Amino acid sequence: MKIELLSPAGSLEKAKIALLYGADAVYIGGKQFSLRARASNFDLSMIKELVDFAHGLGKKVYITMNIVFHDDDISGLDEYLIYLDEIKVDAIICSSMIVIERAKALTNLEIHLSTQFSVTNSLLANYFFHEGVKRVVLARELSLTEIKEIKDKSLADLEIFIHGGMCVSYSGRCTLSNYTVLRDANRGGCAHTCRWLYDLFENDRKISDNHDFQMSSKDLEATEFVKDLLDMNISSLKIEGRMKSVHYIATVVSAYRMLIDDYYHGVLRDISFYQNEIKKAENRQTSYGFFKGDTTPEQQLYNQRSEVPTKEFVGMVMGYDKSKNLLEIEQRNYFAPGDMLEIFTPDKTIVTFKVKNIFNQDDEVLDAARHPLQLVKLPLALSIPKFSMVRKVKYD
Amino acid sequence: MKFVIRLKTIEEITELISLGADVFLVDTPLAVKKVGLEMYDFLETIFSYGKEVYLLVNKMIHEEDVDMLTKILLVAKDDRITGVVAGDLTVMVKAKELGIATKIIYQPGTMNTNSFDNEYFFLKEIKGITISKEITLEEITKIFTVKKTELSLVGHGFIDMFYSKRKLLTNYFIFKNIVRENIRENPNFRLNEEMRKDSYYPIFEDNGGTHVFRNLALESFDEVEGLRKALDDFFIERIFIGDEEYYDSLKVYNNKMSREEFLEKYQGKYNKGFFYQYTEKLKGELDEN
Repeated sequence: MKIELLSPAGSLEKAKIALLYGADAVYIGGKQFSLRARASNFDLSMIKELVDFAHGLGKKVYITMNIVFHDDDISGLDEYLIYLDEIKVDAIICSSMIVIERAKALTNLEIHLSTQFSVTNSLLANYFFHEGVKRVVLARELSLTEIKEIKDKSLADLEIFIHGGMCVSYSGRCTLSNYTVLRDANRGGCAHTCRWLYDLFENDRKISDNHDFQMSSKDLEATEFVKDLLDMNISSLKIEGRMKSVHYIATVVSAYRMLIDDYYHGVLRDISFYQNEIKKAENRQTSYGFFKGDTTPEQQLYNQRSEVPTKEFVGMVMGYDKSKNLLEIEQRNYFAPGDMLEIFTPDKTIVTFKVKNIFNQDDEVLDAARHPLQLVKLPLALSIPKFSMVRKVKYD
Repeated sequence: MKFVIRLKTIEEITELISLGADVFLVDTPLAVKKVGLEMYDFLETIFSYGKEVYLLVNKMIHEEDVDMLTKILLVAKDDRITGVVAGDLTVMVKAKELGIATKIIYQPGTMNTNSFDNEYFFLKEIKGITISKEITLEEITKIFTVKKTELSLVGHGFIDMFYSKRKLLTNYFIFKNIVRENIRENPNFRLNEEMRKDSYYPIFEDNGGTHVFRNLALESFDEVEGLRKALDDFFIERIFIGDEEYYDSLKVYNNKMSREEFLEKYQGKYNKGFFYQYTEKLKGELDEN
């Protein structure tokens, strides 16, 4: 069975980009019952549009319903589940018993258990399998050895996080945000209190310097371990980041798509190739989390520094006028004549060129593309597909 | 309603009983946030006092822990052990295999937040569930109205907010090139956040990882009579609390000391947690599941 590459999507546009750039499935949040309260969550018509779009490509859509339900969250749950079933959503991702039981009672929806439940062993994975859960998203606190041991004994399909932000706490077990700012971490309100700056004291003696005690972790980046996960026949590899940009989604999905396909085709390149592709998108510092066992200071983020992407995202291709050889770009960041741009297409083709002229929609010459979301046109002799990403090439 | 008490030494059992202890909650090798010596090794002595005994198994269970879990649950088959407090649902799964699921009290800290959970675990025929720490008294009371399984609450003491597998203190000292011992199970470390100058959050590292606690301990002196109507067990936590203070809290819950006297004596150390504090669902960001 070919492994699934599963991408996050915080909007319809991001979901379509993820699927076009190589994801086999996307997971999204509805307006209700999903943890990413600030992600541009989908209303019912948008979910249906995405399901139809994905199914047209032979791909899948999963809906996250992974809040920890309080009694006053339950209203509307049954109707929502029935609707998702009717529009043929491929699975729901949940962590509360009430969602599992209501989905079983009312629908034929496939059920995935969220990492919010922090499943760390095969006994529990198999318990949920017998409770009607098809797939378990394992906790991110597991080493590769532990994942293999669970896989060998598990009846449930397994999904593993391979990239993106990580809770420092076991997921679903944290109330830091609840207590410090009254925002419920387990119902979409996480304020990321674990990423704040702290001083460490022993009794009354301060040990730290200038708030340098931080609990925050580096993001996960598991390119090094994908080959092992493929060999284990894990069902799905998951990327985190429903809040991330279209460029990030396209870049990260594409890099892992290439890695997986290259491995299956026996043409795997040096792992640094895929890592360098990922670095073209905006990133926090990354490490390999728990894949090698207990974490060390290497997996912690002590200086709050973000990695600078090697390429700056400046726009997305919205069309190509073959009669005039003009490329239409939706601007996202500043660029000007003289800049070297790199176009990165959904089929992984890369085209590099120097900007000579920039025109607005009225064919007037611009000295630069300055305005976010402005449609601008650039002369280019090569036809480029819609939704290609445009990056500025930086030179040191 | 029974008062479930943490035990630090054998020598204090008589006093704790005189102060109203109904059940002794005993740390096991798969317990985290231990309060002192592992009383698991002294079970026969504890049994001899004739009180109920629960075992604490609140570590997240990884594959490597399953053999130890089995050993603990085989010990728990003893009729004199009437409960196993489980932080991870795996404990229930293994207990079912061994025929003692009826002793399991599922206490994950955060997951038991609605009335349905009470019904679900009633149907699983376990002993009961501990209502989560982050919900309001109003929400707790609503769960009471549909009570089916035994219900309990951690109603007093320092409540943890965070449980990480990472050794955050050890890693920090390595990062700082500070060589030091006595990190693990040292109760004296605290965190202070730059915008909350007066708040010090206890941080505690042990075999299970790192735990961060609320800056103030929870007390339920005014609420306990109302809770008594539906709760089966009321847990009184002990970590970071001195012996005298712990005994005094038992006195208040058993009407041997006034709440006013207690709160005067331990000024500024307690609050009501989330009893009257509703948390918002929105405005969140990041982190993925």
